[in-house]
Amino acid sequence: MTNKPQVKIVNAETGEEIIRDANAEELAQMEIDAANSQARKAEAEAKAQAKATAEGKLAALGLTIDDLRALGL
Amino acid sequence: MAKQTFTTGQVLTASQMSSLQATAMGGGSPSVKTTSYVLVAADAGTVIQMNSASATTITVNTSLFSAGDSVQIQNIGAGTLTITAGTATVNSAGSLAVSQYDGGFLYFSSASSAIWFDYTQPGTTSPLTTKGDLYTRTSSADSRLAVGANGTTLVADSAEATGLKWAAAASGGGMTLLSTTSLTSGSSVTISSISGSYKNLFILGRDISLSANDNVNFRFNSDTGSNYAFGRIRLTDTTLIGYSIDAETQFEGLEAFTSSAWNKEAFFEMTIPRYSETEIKSIYMRTIGQSPTVKKCDWRQGSFNSTSAISSVTLFTGGATYSSGTVYVYGVS
Repeated sequence: MTNKPQVKIVNAETGEEIIRDANAEELAQMEIDAANSQARKAEAEAKAQAKATAEGKLAALGLTIDDLRALGL
Repeated sequence: MAKQTFTTGQVLTASQMSSLQATAMGGGSPSVKTTSYVLVAADAGTVIQMNSASATTITVNTSLFSAGDSVQIQNIGAGTLTITAGTATVNSAGSLAVSQYDGGFLYFSSASSAIWFDYTQPGTTSPLTTKGDLYTRTSSADSRLAVGANGTTLVADSAEATGLKWAAAASGGGMTLLSTTSLTSGSSVTISSISGSYKNLFILGRDISLSANDNVNFRFNSDTGSNYAFGRIRLTDTTLIGYSIDAETQFEGLEAFTSSAWNKEAFFEMTIPRYSETEIKSIYMRTIGQSPTVKKCDWRQGSFNSTSAISSVTLFTGGATYSSGTVYVYGVS
């Protein structure tokens, strides 16, 4: 049993399937991809958090997003 | 009896009258030939009967017969007899070939021209011999076109004797399934050796779920360069947003989720027109990802900045492993 990430390669011409451990180059790329993915998630979460915070501030003023839209903002 | 020249006061015998009558009624004793023969003047008014197992000819030359003369010709041999214009002209409504037990008569309209009247008129006999044969015609005669192989279709071809031939059915437009791949192990699945013989590539993903909520992204030809760009319109429940990204190292794909319950899976379809040409590729994709609480739909159009034909597609996550899913790759003609 291996703990290394695995890659699957399917030959569309022959139907041959290979499942093997990721090699060093693939592992390095996976780390880059994972880091990018985490960065995107963090960015999305930060945006969502910022939005929630802004909505909270609006609510404290008795306003909603619809009120801002009505003002053309 | 051969054609006679009668004189005034000539007395005919009963035998002569019987022979003359038989000839006039289309009968009379035949002059049997067993090899090819050239008509002579004395054949006028007689019956020439060919009897040969091999193909033979009866040749018609000019200046031997007068207008109004005729010669009956029969073929009782297995070999085909062909009435052949030597120096005279021979006209006919059909073939000049006389098969076994066929015949006709040669009527001279002048000393240099005859008409062949075949007892068997064109169209009254069939050249067909086998189930599925077609009755066709060459430039000069009716002809049999043998039935083609199963699945073949009839095609017009002026280079053929009959103008027709059997050919493999032309493949029409359509989709050919090139690969069916299960997403059941690891976080990276590559479908390689994709044929470049089609116009477009169509990729369909169904029932995709992951070990953790994550994105499923795409790369072509294992290209990790900043060669991907796309614009995206995304509907999350009732919120619609849109943005575009340039110079990415991946074509960002669909959002997928944990669990393989029917309402927690992700689906996508991707079209890549002219994927095998040496031009930058355009990519059109639609996705839907469903979690227990959120439904996300995406429409995105992008490009892959490469002049190489796309021969492989890699679907990879940000780290989550596949729990379920199937990817179908189609070539579109």
